[in-house]
Formats: sequence, structure tokens, C-alpha cells
Amino acid sequence: MRHYEIVFLVHPDQSSQVPAMIDRYRASIETTSGTIHRLEDWGRRHLAYPIKKLQKAHYVLMNIECDQATLAELESSFRFNDAVLRSMTILMKKAMTDATVIAAETAEAVKSEKPATEAKAEKIAPTDEAKVEKLAPTEEAKVEATAEAEVKADSE
Amino acid sequence: MARQMRRKKHYTFGAEGESNAIDYKNTELLSEFVTETGKIVPSRITGTAAKNQRQITTAIKRARYIALMPFCDAHE
Repeated sequence: MRHYEIVFLVHPDQSSQVPAMIDRYRASIETTSGTIHRLEDWGRRHLAYPIKKLQKAHYVLMNIECDQATLAELESSFRFNDAVLRSMTILMKKAMTDATVIAAETAEAVKSEKPATEAKAEKIAPTDEAKVEKLAPTEEAKVEATAEAEVKADSE
Repeated sequence: MARQMRRKKHYTFGAEGESNAIDYKNTELLSEFVTETGKIVPSRITGTAAKNQRQITTAIKRARYIALMPFCDAHE
């Protein structure tokens, strides 16, 4: 069977449907005894030029091995799916399984976002603790004040 | 004409497993063969071999189709 490399662009508003689309394509490939050698989801990327007036699109890369009928089915599904903006299919001589540079870049971008959100959470936590500490002494002072008042009232 | 960039650059393109294989996804490498305005530089200026120049050109055109590289610098 032939090896193909497929890149398709999905409308960024339909990014949440991408995993479902990938599962459907995977099912149609594997029912005809094809294999997926590499599947990379590059996520939303900025486009080099606007496509249908959009500045970003969700990229997916697939390296598959399948027969021509399955490929025709895949390509027609791209054509009739409004969420797919553009697709490119390339015939390859062999399967490629290495991670691409772009996948490594998106992984780093995701990692650099996570520490940023964690740092924000850490900043919030100490301020809460400071507030709690400030409240505690004042409450204690109030408690002491009321206790003293009670003691004075009792003594009086 | 452009004698400034008359480097007879001997460019080795990716034996297996190297990061400078000519691939439409490798935009860092491809952008070295493209002018500031996004046009493909002729091989008599960069000094690349004919075979490599053909592969670079198809890779750039594929990258342009998927919007990994621009067609020109004044898109809108």
C-alpha cells in the first residue's frame, strides 16, 4: 500500500471537533487495514497569510499507509467538510515516524504556558495567606477585647 | 549582477536523521533561500546544486500552499 502524508487545516472555532474528526479518519483507515504511522496535532498556528479572512488555523499532520480507495474517501471527506479549510496530500516513498520540528515547538509552547499559569496561582496563594494572617491577629484582638470586656463586666 | 552573494556555498542537505533535510515543514531552512519579500532566490546567487534547488523550490511552494510560508511580504 502507498504511503501518504496529509496536512489539513481546520477552522479555529472548530478546534474542539478535531479529536472527533481524527477518530473518524482513523476508523476509516483501519477498517481497510491501513496504518497510521505518525499523527501530530500542531494546534492553532498563526497563518502566513489570511485564508478565508482567518488569521489562525488548527493544523493536523498524518502519515498514513492505505489503499487508493481509502485515500479518495478521505479526500472527499475533506472537500465536503466545511470545517476543513485546506488539505494537502503528498505521496511518500516510505513511512515517516519521527517527530517534526513543529511538533516540538508546540510542545514547548504548551509547557511554557503551564508554568505561567502555575506562577500566577502561586502569586495568588501567598497574598491570600497574608490576608489570612492579618485577619487572624485582628480577630484575636477582637476576641481578647471582648474577653476583657466580659471580665470587666463580670468584675463590675 | 549580484556579485555580493557570490558564495559558492557548498550546502549539505540532511543525510538521514539530520535536521537540515529539505522538507516543506522545515521553514527555518527554507527561509534562508527566500528573499525578504518572500521570493525564491535563484541558485546562481546562493550557489546551491541544481538538484537541491529543485527540491527547495517544491518544498517552498508546498509550504506556501499550507500557509507555513508567505507568498509575499505584503499580504492582507
